[in-house]
Amino acid sequence: MPDFPIPGYHGRVLVADLSLGEIRPVPLDPGTALSYLGGRGLATRLLCDTIDPACEPLGPDNAFVIASSPLVGSTAPTAGRGHMVFKSPLTGVIGTSNSGGTWGAAFKSAGYDALIVKGAAAEPVMIDLAPGRAEILPAGHVWGKTTHETNDVLAADAGPGRPARILCIGPAGENLVRFAAVANDRNRVYGRCGPGAVWGSKRLKAIRVRGREKIAAADPEKYKSGQEQAIYLLKQAPVTKRLMRDLGTAGLVELINLIAMLPHKNFQDCLHRDEDVDRVSGETLAKTLLEKAGSCYLCPIGCQRHTRVAGRDGGEERGEGPEYETVVLTGPLCGIYDLAAITRANYRANELGLDTMSYGGTLACAMELAERGLIGPEETNGIDLAFGSAEALETLVGLTARREGLGAALAEGAHRLAAGRGRPELAMTVKKLEIPAYDPRASFTQALGYMTSPTGACHLRGGYAVSLAFFGGAKEIPRFSLLQAPIAIRNMQNMGILQDSLGICRFTGYAFSADPWARMASGVTGRDLSVAKLEEIENRVATLERCFNLGAGATAEDDALPDRFADVPILVEGRERRVTREDQERMKRDYYAVRGWDAAGRPTPGLLRALRIEEARR
Amino acid sequence: MSGPRWRATDGLFREFQALGRASLVLDTQDSHSGNMALRRTNERGEDEIVITATGSQKGDLEPSQICFLSATETDYGYYKASSETDIHARILALPGVRASMHAHVKDLILATLDDAPKPGKPPDFVPVDPLARHHLGPAVPVDWFAVPSGSTELTRVIPERLADHPLTIIFGHGAMAKGRTLREAFFRLMVGNYAGAVVRNMERLRIDVGAVRDGIAAGPGRAFAGPPPDYEVDGDERSDFRDEEEILREFVKAGHRVFESRLSPFHTGSMSIRGVRSMLYAPKASMPRDVGGPLLSVPLAPDPSDDPEAALHKAIYAGSDFQSVMHCHVAEAEASARFVYPGETEPADRIIPIDAEGSFLYLVIPVLPPDTGAEELIRNLHEYKVAVVRGGGVWAVGAQSLSEVLHHPSSVREICLYRIGAFERGLDLRRMEPAKAKRW
Repeated sequence: MPDFPIPGYHGRVLVADLSLGEIRPVPLDPGTALSYLGGRGLATRLLCDTIDPACEPLGPDNAFVIASSPLVGSTAPTAGRGHMVFKSPLTGVIGTSNSGGTWGAAFKSAGYDALIVKGAAAEPVMIDLAPGRAEILPAGHVWGKTTHETNDVLAADAGPGRPARILCIGPAGENLVRFAAVANDRNRVYGRCGPGAVWGSKRLKAIRVRGREKIAAADPEKYKSGQEQAIYLLKQAPVTKRLMRDLGTAGLVELINLIAMLPHKNFQDCLHRDEDVDRVSGETLAKTLLEKAGSCYLCPIGCQRHTRVAGRDGGEERGEGPEYETVVLTGPLCGIYDLAAITRANYRANELGLDTMSYGGTLACAMELAERGLIGPEETNGIDLAFGSAEALETLVGLTARREGLGAALAEGAHRLAAGRGRPELAMTVKKLEIPAYDPRASFTQALGYMTSPTGACHLRGGYAVSLAFFGGAKEIPRFSLLQAPIAIRNMQNMGILQDSLGICRFTGYAFSADPWARMASGVTGRDLSVAKLEEIENRVATLERCFNLGAGATAEDDALPDRFADVPILVEGRERRVTREDQERMKRDYYAVRGWDAAGRPTPGLLRALRIEEARR
Repeated sequence: MSGPRWRATDGLFREFQALGRASLVLDTQDSHSGNMALRRTNERGEDEIVITATGSQKGDLEPSQICFLSATETDYGYYKASSETDIHARILALPGVRASMHAHVKDLILATLDDAPKPGKPPDFVPVDPLARHHLGPAVPVDWFAVPSGSTELTRVIPERLADHPLTIIFGHGAMAKGRTLREAFFRLMVGNYAGAVVRNMERLRIDVGAVRDGIAAGPGRAFAGPPPDYEVDGDERSDFRDEEEILREFVKAGHRVFESRLSPFHTGSMSIRGVRSMLYAPKASMPRDVGGPLLSVPLAPDPSDDPEAALHKAIYAGSDFQSVMHCHVAEAEASARFVYPGETEPADRIIPIDAEGSFLYLVIPVLPPDTGAEELIRNLHEYKVAVVRGGGVWAVGAQSLSEVLHHPSSVREICLYRIGAFERGLDLRRMEPAKAKRW
């Protein structure tokens, strides 16, 4: 491969065709690199170049792309994340997910910028990567094993040298559970949108990487100025310097409850007893379960929770988690306030390779269906499926991963579960993706974020309005401003695209915004990656994702909240709040306008030309 | 005149009370100093002066401390009215003048003190900032009086000065301003005080103010960014976005903060939030409590009738994804923008924070020349979120909210305060500036 003209990149993309059993490197186009940066941006571009958005997500025509970024491999704080993009088997639109830990950095050090995997193998396989070497190997010996077992076996098999890092699926992925995750470093997961099922459909069990290739900055002084400032700010901002390390993301539980946004019983209301919330708070977790905090690659924040909990049948278990989303979605959303049960279910989900968010949202939906008599005792096999049943939480996680009994229905996700019983409106999803643990009725900005997120209801891709509204320091955003929501959420979504495309952690956003990243990216590449230039890339990626979704059959009608949020108010600071259909329509219309899309949510030809993605119209 | 009229109507009283309070909040009065008056035709069609009572506490005016007296004859209203009533009455008799106000504008007083033997005529005050230059003129008269309060000499000279100037300075005492409304008179006093603060800060930074003045005299067009908008006396109560309760609150809150934290003199500066097709625009960003300002919904599309201030807000939005814009006139920043490091000859092109909070927020703040165009300003705002335009104020942007953008001028003021204070103490700013800032 010739020397790549842009520092920060290796200039190599690996393409694996599992149907043919072939894997080979191809050159990365420098123009593509600079137009899409890396991570989510680059992976989206490569996916769009590889598949037809209308393809069957669990068929061989789907592909997934993992991409690194020019900052990964540098000393930039938190820059070790990998990003995966694919067509989601859960939502039918673009799926995009990332993960921390060490795998992303190891992949970059193996000498590649991106990996495209297409086709499907006849038998279980794995991909083994090292500098100058890429192989497809049989993986029958780990098929059926948990993510932990797979990780340990394949890491041990790698032999001497630098430690190998493993990315793999568990039984949930193998069984095509639509919200199956892909795990690395045992407990870090590419969780949302069902990447594990895509892997399972390809009979790809794992990707093992190791390497030592470094990157050098083109302008070390410029790079260092941004890097030093970033570290300095991370050490000063309260959320990044202490809160995350002490309480983890679960530290949000009390706060989100205080602002009347903590969902309850499948989003029927946000009413909790304070003592119940206290039982599942980050503070309680820290006092009762936490052994130590941990960090991802080059991360000074340290939000990981290494915990231990009493086993269900005696003894003691150790693992990681739970995070805020897991606590709330498998907890209060299901009427459950049993932190030990939540933690054990989280351990099992990690081992089996399930997204805890979608699992929680689907379980809550099942509980409401049961409450309404739409899931009968004959289906539950004696499991108490009432709201508040920790038994259901812990038992169904395994059944879902294995598609056994009622678990087979849950494995399809909340939308298909409810629709199958004639009540799709009881699924709290947008574009079939289960809603995160913030009630949208308590923030119009967050509501619009869920509506317009390219992946369906996702606080990370749709814009995390909560963060800025309530602990973003000077960035408070009015919660109920129809006027401000469209641009505010567009800008938050764009910031997310930047972070995902640079392979960095969302939580850095609590300390600073784009400027230090622009310095670092410009310093590494030696190219103009100013904030303005990055903004252009962000808009390009957002519109390309939209084009993919339109190609996949999505329409403006899919950019809507479930009826419950328009029809049933919750009480926020003494006032009834809902997001009426008219409000949704107004915000959506304005959001399309600020994106440069037409009234039907289609990017205009002029915009596509300006963003240099005319071909996306096809 | 018939019947006692010692009760102000609600609206009238609230206006006196709010401006009195505002002048005290900004430390431009002592506990009892100052006075304000307006001339009006009352409900009975009589020509009337309304004036604060003598010795009243302007920060806590009571309804009974608003006095009503005839504008055309002596009546019992004088018994309780300000000791400066005669001066006010003569000012209010000037053509077009409907209000007058006196305040102890300390920064301006200090900037115009001199130790030349008196009696004597002190030199006029020459502003070095764009606001005072535009609103008060290139030279503001300063007069020394043997009896600088309530004297016949004052009564004669002050109205003469105000016949030709919007504001005049009473050496060692304060300033008197005229206006079409009380707000305009107050506006001029605050602009004057701001001008004094800019000069005083420049002196503390050992900037050669004389040389700056010479430079301005030689080419005023080159010394300042475009002129600020003229002061509009109508429309302060207009609010085009009452249905956006939260945003309305944000604007009001930000307006209070801009005024009270001295981020921009009364009714100067501007701020906006961008909608999809329009922007919510406050052309008088600095708003004390209980004193509003227009809150306008303005189409985002450029319009030939836009004043340069509104046009620049629109240009920033057209050239960026920002959601909020704020423009303030921060005295400390205006002075700092002309700071020349010892041993150097040209003003610095960046302000480097030396304080912890400032360094936390920014490594450097760019200082742009007065003639910086919109494109260059936007480029800098993209990179730094805030920029100081020499002779043009502080421009800042936010990605999400007004609260976010407010933080920038507020921080810039503190950053400049610490730098000025350190320099004044003889500390070496270069040594105090973080090394990493040099690489930024």
